[in-house]
Amino acid sequence: MAYAYLFKYIIIGDTGVGKSCLLLQFTDKRFQPVHDLTIGVEFGARMITIDGKQIKLQIWDTAGQESFRSITRSYYRGAAGALLVYDITRRDTFNHLTTWLEDARQHSNSNMVIMLIANKSDLESRREVKKEEGEAFAREHGLIFMETSAKTASNVEEAFINTAKEIYEKIQEGVFDINNEANGIKIGPQHSTPGSPGSHLGGQQAGGGCC
Amino acid sequence: MFTRVKSAVVSFMGGIMAGSSGLEHVNGSDLPVRFSYTRPEFLGLSPDEIECSADHIARPILILKETQRLPWSTGYAEVINAGKSTHNEDQASCEVVFVKKKSGVQSTPNKNSSSKRRSSLPNAEGLQLKDNQEVDGITFHYWALFDGHAGAGAAVVASKLLHHHIAEQIPDIIDILKNSAVLPPTCLGEEPESTSSNSRTLTRAASLRGGSGAPGSPSTPPTRFFTEKKIPHECLVIGALENAFKEMDLRIERERSTYSISGGCTALIVVYLLGKLYVANAGDSRAIIIRNGEIIPMSSEFTPETERQRLQYLAFLQPHLLGNEFTHLEFPRRVQRKEVGKMMLYRDFNMTGWAYKTIEENDLKFPLIYGEGKKARVMATIGVTRGLGDHDLKVHDSNIYIKPFLSSVPEVRVYDLVQHEHSADDVLVLATDGLWDVLFNEEVLEAVTSFLANCDPDDPHRYTLAAQDLVMRARGVLKDRGWRISNDRLGSGDDISVYVIPLEHGNRVS
Repeated sequence: MAYAYLFKYIIIGDTGVGKSCLLLQFTDKRFQPVHDLTIGVEFGARMITIDGKQIKLQIWDTAGQESFRSITRSYYRGAAGALLVYDITRRDTFNHLTTWLEDARQHSNSNMVIMLIANKSDLESRREVKKEEGEAFAREHGLIFMETSAKTASNVEEAFINTAKEIYEKIQEGVFDINNEANGIKIGPQHSTPGSPGSHLGGQQAGGGCC
Repeated sequence: MFTRVKSAVVSFMGGIMAGSSGLEHVNGSDLPVRFSYTRPEFLGLSPDEIECSADHIARPILILKETQRLPWSTGYAEVINAGKSTHNEDQASCEVVFVKKKSGVQSTPNKNSSSKRRSSLPNAEGLQLKDNQEVDGITFHYWALFDGHAGAGAAVVASKLLHHHIAEQIPDIIDILKNSAVLPPTCLGEEPESTSSNSRTLTRAASLRGGSGAPGSPSTPPTRFFTEKKIPHECLVIGALENAFKEMDLRIERERSTYSISGGCTALIVVYLLGKLYVANAGDSRAIIIRNGEIIPMSSEFTPETERQRLQYLAFLQPHLLGNEFTHLEFPRRVQRKEVGKMMLYRDFNMTGWAYKTIEENDLKFPLIYGEGKKARVMATIGVTRGLGDHDLKVHDSNIYIKPFLSSVPEVRVYDLVQHEHSADDVLVLATDGLWDVLFNEEVLEAVTSFLANCDPDDPHRYTLAAQDLVMRARGVLKDRGWRISNDRLGSGDDISVYVIPLEHGNRVS
């Protein structure tokens, strides 16, 4: 399907915080209570509309385990947005945010939009991390913040879409060089004049049929 | 692979090729494609996932998620190139194929039947089923890697069809293969008579001699007036594989009139049949067995350098194939006009060493084989000399075809799986040249051995994780100065595909 822009996202955070479930809820609108451990990288995609424009989100879901960290790190490059996820019922996943953030800042492009996500908000009775703590961390590090539940779907749409809005605004402000694919943004085919680099990329993206 | 072709052509001819589709239009691009571009079926990727994976910047390593999809808990991982072609031009397929006796061939072409068969076959539960089926047929396991160049067409077609061509070669020899006690009859028609008269003695003799009889031993029937070669069973399988490669290549040639099948590909396959592994290789991919911490090479590469003498001899016999543009002789460097009349080092098809000859006008032509190592090319065009497809490949801006110099004949090596005990860490590693270009066999051994040793022996993903680890080691990490691997060496910018096949399952299955 034709799109005006394509944004690449990456989802990061400790193992078991619900990264794959957030992705599944966003792309398939369903919750899978038992999910296989992600051992490499998995992908999801969905079309959204912002400002009347079709935007395709291409989402990379990474392995949270320490042993896969070097592989995960290599996927930050070329992402326009990152969802950094922790689990409100496990304080250690919150404590590790600094490490994740350092990793992300070091290996991504400097304009990458990072959304901090406090997941499992449905498990209020087992909460270990207060909402205020998440908000404070986000404020301190210049992140957008949101509490979500991949199980009830609460705020899941918003998390993905607000990140896209932020990226879209940055494009409008001219912060992103949209012709540099390494920024995680591609222009759709109808957006560029024939023969320009944009149309070349868009054509390849939309095609996918043969070679 | 394509860049190799392209850059050589560009540097030689000074021409400019327009992107990766440059060679595809030779045969007319209006024809429909035979199979549309895809990733290996066993990865189970959606079109969206395939699109995501074609990221030349982050180069995601794709792995086999559902290990039960492949027999023997086989592991698999792959990564796309760093931008030399839009698509990942490597392809892979893996099948468990049941071949029915005479009446026809039953392989596993469609999803429904194959997934059922696959999930039920590899483990003990499936063994029962297999035994019942085996009465009227035979099952073989098949793993394959194809490395495409100048387009993905041939690699995709080969990945979809080669196992069918193998299956087609088998029905006639099923009974012969299964009857391991009796050597294959030389002439099929004579079979009944000879079995009725000496089957018992032959059987005993064969088992006493371990299957490879010495002529004139006391128990051999003394009726022959001439010597007769004893052909062991495995040679029939080797022949079947060789013919399957030939048929596959002919089929691509035939179907070019109906479909657009771009480019060519190397083919490295493994067939497990009746306790033996057959590794057939046409191209520059590689297979090694890692057993008890030791390397057993299972293939060799076919490149302009390794096949120089074959190519030179062909050009010597058929000089018209060089189109008056090339010389079949090799010189240590390009000969300059001012050197005509001087004595210069050269070598011909009959030589591995060097000698001096007087330079003539004809020696000024571009050499048939030029360049060193990974840069060596046939007629400045291609860096691999065996494989499938490439029927329309020509030297840039000329009418000189490359195909006559290419061979679809695989080298087949046999490994008797049941002759050896294997631990959970003994594996067969298959990979395209993307891996071997940057890692030595010893490094692969070291990586796999240490990875598996630190991995839970019961982890169903351990072989896929080992494959992922190998791909990561060969791809490396993108730094300011390109992809880098250990010791700041250059990582592979090529497509990389790796199978890690545990061998202990073969012992269990048998």
